[in-house]
Amino acid sequence: MGQIILGVGDYGASNRPGEEVKTFALGSCVSVVLLDPKTRTVGMVHVALPESTINKAKSVEKPGYFADTGIPALLSEMAKFGCNPKGKGMVVKLCGGANVMDTNDTFQIGKRNALSIKKVLWKYGMGAVAEDLGGNFSRTVSVSVDTGEITLSSPGRPNWKL
Amino acid sequence: MTTKIDQDEIRKVIESVPMLSASATQLLQTTTDPDHDLIEIVRIVKTDATLTARVLKVVNSAAFGLINEITSLDRAISYLGERLIVGIAIGDCASQLFNKELKGYEGEHGDLWRHDLRTAIASREVVTQSNSTISPDLAFTAGLLHDIGKALISDYLHGTASAVLEKIENEEISDYLSAEEELIGFDHTRAVHELALVWKLPEAITEVIRFHHAPSEARDEFKELVYAVHLGDNIAMMGGCGTGADSMRYKLDNNYCQFMDLQPAALANVMLAVNDDFNKLERSFAEAGESN
Ligand SMILES: [Fe+2]
Ligand SMILES: [Fe+2]
Repeated sequence: MGQIILGVGDYGASNRPGEEVKTFALGSCVSVVLLDPKTRTVGMVHVALPESTINKAKSVEKPGYFADTGIPALLSEMAKFGCNPKGKGMVVKLCGGANVMDTNDTFQIGKRNALSIKKVLWKYGMGAVAEDLGGNFSRTVSVSVDTGEITLSSPGRPNWKL
Repeated sequence: MTTKIDQDEIRKVIESVPMLSASATQLLQTTTDPDHDLIEIVRIVKTDATLTARVLKVVNSAAFGLINEITSLDRAISYLGERLIVGIAIGDCASQLFNKELKGYEGEHGDLWRHDLRTAIASREVVTQSNSTISPDLAFTAGLLHDIGKALISDYLHGTASAVLEKIENEEISDYLSAEEELIGFDHTRAVHELALVWKLPEAITEVIRFHHAPSEARDEFKELVYAVHLGDNIAMMGGCGTGADSMRYKLDNNYCQFMDLQPAALANVMLAVNDDFNKLERSFAEAGESN
């Protein structure tokens, strides 16, 4: 079975039957999964930080790193597959955004990532139908192109679905 | 069912792992001495043919993308910098420990090395981007060794991970460190005296190993360094680089603010720099290792 593996700050999409879009070990990072039922396309971006303003050069080189540049980048990628460039009709799922224990505001990057992503999605009129966010554990995330179902795994826990 | 272990048991484990080479020990001592220079590092590496060969392999690996091959050791060392030389030396001698599959934490092969390397880079970035007076080389080396205790106790934790996670989730145990203590009577920061004896580790490094989850308990002279690695460790886990089931199940000590100024934007830039440098270093070490 084919796999598209995304690293930190990567985004990608697939409409090939049987394929999976996957990213390993999200800590405070958040994976935004967009499903387009019309074209049967699955897209994902692995967002590491809430805002690109902290490093403009990086956001040009790798827009997927940041919530505010990563989601537009993913939408233009998915437009190549015939999806609506404004995300109309797409289903959104969010995973990741964990935090270490007893964290202060500065270190709550997981939480800030999730908030910033929701703000950006809101501008497109999109909202998540399902989310698995927060907690104190890392997640590996894999989406099936056939079903749009997400399988999550984390060391020491049984796998679960979203 | 787990059994309790003690210092004697850990001593036996440590005696069964390889010693650090004479050059690695000397490099560790030198790098923790504030008044040393690069010439001393070059002199130590020159006495060790295996290490010299490895250093040249790493600097010429594709990950660094040099156009012209570097054949002189002096140039290789000044290009890579002291911390990478120490990293190569320790990584080689202790590869049996770093590459141990941490079954007790349900970690995968290579997780410990990746976590330690990422913590090393993050600790260095924390001190550089928070204008700390700590030597970035020292922060890197200390970060590289901070969790070596996990390799020593992992086997005793076999089969415990899912029960531990449940207890943490139900707030019966406060974090993973307490779980280790409760299960086997020994947490991964406590093997430090035995390690220090066998490996002749400098005090700054043993203090980091011992207190990286409780930096406020470190001796004053080492506190800033211990806090830097404490943050580096958390940043590595936030970046998805943990050692298994225990990842992100430790407490952040917010008193780091008394020792370093790390604003949200600076932390974000630390995380970006860590990610870039980690990808490069991991590749260069892997390439140099494969051709061995
Ligand atoms: Fe630790
Ligand atoms: Fe650690």
